[in-house]
Amino acid sequence: MAGAIIENMSTKKLVIVGIILLLFQVFSFMVGGLIAPSPTSAVHYLAAKCVDSVKSHQPKKWFMPWGPNQCEKIRTFDEAMARRIEANNIVFAVHIPLPQKEMSPWFQFMLVILQFDIAFKMYNQIEDGAMVTIDVGLAYRDDTVSEWTEMAHSVEQRKLNCNFTTAKTFENEGRYYECDLLPFMEVGSVAHKYYLLNIRLPVSERKKVNIGIGEVKDIRLVGIHQNGGFTKVWFAMKTFLTPSILIIMIWYWRRITLMTRPPVLLEKVIFALGISMTFINIPVEWFSVGFNWTWMLLFGDIRQGIFYAMLLSFWIIFCGEHLMDQTERNRFSMYWKQVGPIVFGSFCLFIFDMCERGVQLTNPFYSIWATDVGTELAMAFIIVAGICACLYFLFLCFMVFQVFRNISGKRSALPAMTKARRLHYEGLIFRFKFLMLVTLACAAMTVIFFIISQVNEGHWHWGDYTVQVNSAFFTGIYGMWNLYVFAIMFLYAPSHKRYGDEHSSGDQGANSGEDIQLTTTITHVDGPTEIFKMTGKTSQE
Amino acid sequence: MTSEYLLRSLLMLILALFSANASNWLYLAKLSSLGSISDEETCEKLRGLIQRQVQICKRNVEVMDAVRRGAQLAIDECQFQFRNRRWNCSTLETVPVFGKVVTQGTREAAFVYAISAASVAFAVTRACSSGELEKCGCDRNVHGVSPEGFQWSGCSDNIAYGVAFSQSFVDVRERSKGQSSSRALMNLHNNEAGRKAILNHMRVECKCHGVSGSCEVKTCWKAMPPFRKVGNVIKEKFDGATEVEQRKVGTTKVLVPRNSQFKPHTDEDLVYLDPSPDFCDYDPRTPGMLGTAGRYCNKTSKAIDGCELMCCGRGFHTEEVEVVDRCSCKFHWCCYVKCKQCRKMVEMHTCR
Repeated sequence: MAGAIIENMSTKKLVIVGIILLLFQVFSFMVGGLIAPSPTSAVHYLAAKCVDSVKSHQPKKWFMPWGPNQCEKIRTFDEAMARRIEANNIVFAVHIPLPQKEMSPWFQFMLVILQFDIAFKMYNQIEDGAMVTIDVGLAYRDDTVSEWTEMAHSVEQRKLNCNFTTAKTFENEGRYYECDLLPFMEVGSVAHKYYLLNIRLPVSERKKVNIGIGEVKDIRLVGIHQNGGFTKVWFAMKTFLTPSILIIMIWYWRRITLMTRPPVLLEKVIFALGISMTFINIPVEWFSVGFNWTWMLLFGDIRQGIFYAMLLSFWIIFCGEHLMDQTERNRFSMYWKQVGPIVFGSFCLFIFDMCERGVQLTNPFYSIWATDVGTELAMAFIIVAGICACLYFLFLCFMVFQVFRNISGKRSALPAMTKARRLHYEGLIFRFKFLMLVTLACAAMTVIFFIISQVNEGHWHWGDYTVQVNSAFFTGIYGMWNLYVFAIMFLYAPSHKRYGDEHSSGDQGANSGEDIQLTTTITHVDGPTEIFKMTGKTSQE
Repeated sequence: MTSEYLLRSLLMLILALFSANASNWLYLAKLSSLGSISDEETCEKLRGLIQRQVQICKRNVEVMDAVRRGAQLAIDECQFQFRNRRWNCSTLETVPVFGKVVTQGTREAAFVYAISAASVAFAVTRACSSGELEKCGCDRNVHGVSPEGFQWSGCSDNIAYGVAFSQSFVDVRERSKGQSSSRALMNLHNNEAGRKAILNHMRVECKCHGVSGSCEVKTCWKAMPPFRKVGNVIKEKFDGATEVEQRKVGTTKVLVPRNSQFKPHTDEDLVYLDPSPDFCDYDPRTPGMLGTAGRYCNKTSKAIDGCELMCCGRGFHTEEVEVVDRCSCKFHWCCYVKCKQCRKMVEMHTCR
């Protein structure tokens, strides 16, 4: 890859392009910060304690916590004690959402966290490693009068991780344990308006089920979903970005095919990067508004994974192709050592994701973290992926170091070279340094904004304006990597002079204007002709 | 002229009496026989509410059950926190519930006001999360009450609604008189301190749910502390309460510490105007002043629950009683206990 547009552009043009991209960047931050609401919202639910008084246990009876046909409720378990109601006859009912509200497909996903309020009692403490067994059913309906339709039913086990922070004395009876949040449910699409959860904690002394879990006072749930407003802004952004990346991609590939030589590896990789970006961009999520596609969440994960893997591979190959050590690379197989960890690490994460979100397609209550074996397995996958990531970064850093070493080596030799050779190397160095700079800037931005979004509470007040920092982070960073890919495809496309007179035939459509502009640019640059001579030279090399 | 003056002063006196008993609504806790407060007519019949509170009741009938539970919660928590003190928060079957003990601006009154304001905020917030109330959360949003508001940006936290309701319902008495008297200022401050005990002890919990569950996407929320914790916080504030007096700063009246050496109180601290009585003896003229005669005390303790202090130096009886205790119990998580009965002899000390 020689003679990219970036080298032939005047500094002025380059600055203009940079400013335009920066404007888009600012715009993408503003869209998230000012228009979109916060990305997700969490809703608290307190489970109603219903009494299942029917002895025969009707098979499909659903308990409503409020509204018409609500169940027979008890306030506290002391009341149940007095009325001799057993634990097995108690059903915790939670209706999602709260009254007068409706769920909507715009929420994209819904995950539910479970929390137990367990009071400390001297004689009824939580045993070490206590497991709680939850019999849970999920039902839905789309209007307020029809019957509930069962969506999922499962018996799940969760480990109670509770500790009591004060001294275990009679004085402190009645204080609550501090328990870890338990992952409870994850649904990949919110196609229905109303959901109902019925939770039982069956007790069996013989089977040692739900024994030694202390005195449960309440069950609290937290439902998390993506905000509809954020989804709309996000979709709008994707819908806008898809064609822009697609167009530049087609334009880029046209330039490559118009060349006489076959495309080199780096050009192919850049093109692949464009494809993976487009793959993320294509707003297939629009379908989730109309269809009940629960696999959308998993699909989104896979798309992101492919893009990340592609981006990492691109960096490695870009470094490799700019090594300037006379080794013939230009083959993908040369990079197996560096790309291997990426592929392997991504594969591990893919397996992990399949084990978690994949299984959740059939059982929304499944969690790989619920069992010890699962936790170990999950940790193993994540650790292996982490090792791969470390390995990758070691390779990358080493390669960047090598490039810089070669650059300084070449620098001293530059004056002695022929003009064409010198321009070739100067071009290489400039291209590399430019990408290096931009990449570092983008990565730094990502890291900085990630940290900001992690530490602050999500929104800043600026006079009358509320800036949603988290939304700005998502849209801004997403926009940034899109612009990054866009800029790479635009600036690193082969210079048009390669196919000399072809564009003058005037059938280039929208691109021709740009080409002519570039022609005028190049005439200002010193010694453009040499570059073109040089390109002939490189193809000989 | 004189008659009018007399009438006015009488009116002032009545008002002052009323304002002193601003925690009368706690009497709601005693109305368990009433069933649920379901329609506006019931509001009129509720004892202990002032006219403005009845209006609030009528406008928010669905919330009143939660308010009543809050009142009960406040009394229970007060009795738990004061179980070892001379004044043990015992209630009467009259209005005001705590008798005349809280009508003076004492520490105890400060505690009662704080815990009751907190308990209403707590109970209303809980009722919100359990779906009993229809207008929680979302009505404080920019996008209004419409379902679109919920769809666009979700709802704000229920605690905001609970606190706002507590402010309007509990504080209304003090507010109606234009915040003039020092007692009103004290009550308002303590009410707010009670609510702050919840707000400043909200637990932030987070869940990561990005790609493969990474923290790329993280949602955090604030969880309300258990009410026992709120009670403990307010009890600590009770122990370190500041004695204040009213002073005029510019045109507004403010409460400042009586002892200028002390650092000024914060929003979370309790303040009081009058020193507490010793609560030692039964006083028939002061309802609620039951004295400590007949109370159990701890012989070995040197603290307030010890017999020395509890019995105010009057001495104590000691008798040996056989206590039937539960032992080697089997529990289920709810509603089931199977125990053996163990008998043991215990020395009980009661104040003379």
